[in-house]
Amino acid sequence: MDPTLTVLLFSSVAAGSASLGALPLVLRERLPIAWIGWANAVAAGLMLGAAYALLVAGLDLMPVWGATGALLGIAFVYWTHAVSGTADLELNRLEETSPEYGYKVLLVNALHSAAEGIAIGVAMVESLSFGIFMALAIAVHNVPEGTVLCAILKSRGVRLADAAGLAVATNVSQVLLAVAAFAVLTAAPSAVTWVLGFGVGALVYLVVFELLPESYRQAGSTSIALVTIAAMGIVVLLSG
Amino acid sequence: MHPALVVLSYGLITALATGLGAVPFAFVRMVSARAVAYANAVASGLMLGASFGLVAEGTRHGSWQTIGGAIVGVAFILATQRFLGRYDIQFGTARGAGARRVTLVLVVMTAHSFAEGVAVGVAFGGGMTLAAVITAAIAVHNIPEGLAISAVLRPRNVSVFRCAAWSIASSLPQPLMAVPAFLFVETFATALPYGMGFAAGAMVVMVFVELLPEAYEQARKPTVALLVSVTLVAMVLFQQYL
Repeated sequence: MDPTLTVLLFSSVAAGSASLGALPLVLRERLPIAWIGWANAVAAGLMLGAAYALLVAGLDLMPVWGATGALLGIAFVYWTHAVSGTADLELNRLEETSPEYGYKVLLVNALHSAAEGIAIGVAMVESLSFGIFMALAIAVHNVPEGTVLCAILKSRGVRLADAAGLAVATNVSQVLLAVAAFAVLTAAPSAVTWVLGFGVGALVYLVVFELLPESYRQAGSTSIALVTIAAMGIVVLLSG
Repeated sequence: MHPALVVLSYGLITALATGLGAVPFAFVRMVSARAVAYANAVASGLMLGASFGLVAEGTRHGSWQTIGGAIVGVAFILATQRFLGRYDIQFGTARGAGARRVTLVLVVMTAHSFAEGVAVGVAFGGGMTLAAVITAAIAVHNIPEGLAISAVLRPRNVSVFRCAAWSIASSLPQPLMAVPAFLFVETFATALPYGMGFAAGAMVVMVFVELLPEAYEQARKPTVALLVSVTLVAMVLFQQYL
């Protein structure tokens, strides 16, 4: 198979798996709030593990360039949140029903998946097997993330099938950026270190900004820490 | 001088360097609740960056051993946390949960020095010619660790001098472990990935159980995320060059 098609296929799998996040809501009308916290913690741990894997891939290249890329990644996510007015958005308001809140939640999810797409694309340039590993890690990460999004949308009266569809739709940028990053970096390999760094910075920022803070208010800090570390440990072990 | 004494004295120099981490706090005064949150975020970034580095190094010697060590490190810190919860401790102006957090940071950083001491000793075993270089590297690398400790202590009205003293104390296992590791290189080299995993696990659980939740309570999310991610990147870069 053409490498570009491999990138397209696996990043599509990653985006599509967000719909699986709707499954727990089929079984239960309304999820216990602690589950949302643990779902966020699983997503956080997998994402940190992915950031670690990217970091190790870039460690022996040019560290200063990688670090510059990381600062750009952090600045990019910080800036997009600031200008889109989502910097103080809380992803756990099951009772909040204003239209503005709904759109902002979708927007934050879409912004978030852009960084993941870049991470998949750059990993694919490193080697296809590393890229597939990264895409599958993001795919699993997208499931609990989809659960949180579907829970919020469902409590706002969106049909579950539509919520699952929206969860996939917010991840379309992941597919586009994975393919674009792969194409550009294959043509310009000297930029790989920068983009690896960009991915690390953006993913770490997103974990600390978006996934962890609310989870602590939904479940105890010890359980959140253990779930996050276990998810991270599994990715670290499999990547090594 | 006996080679073991050389290793010991070099180890002491690296421990003293940790005290330099307190120096910036002689110039800045920060005691507000928000300052505690910022300091926690900075300490989180430093500790996460340090653990990424330790895991990356440890997995080169053995993935399973590193992960095994990490699991023990996580369990050790959670057990210590439970244990401290039973006592009413006081630290600077901090009491209760705050004082427990400070004590845990000291325990974590001290435990992590054991692994570093072993790393120093094993490295010395490779030949004395590089000794000075290794010592300088570890010494400089210890400064941000002193910074992490002081960042947690200083906002609780612990004096700069005491911040430096606690930082140095947390690094004393380095010379103590470096000597036996140097004398019995073979044995300790096998234990190295476990030790690195243990240190990483201990630091990571400290970040997620204590430091980040407290940071979120007092500061805005973007600020916490910014401080954690930037210091993490800085720490990784720093270690990469040393």
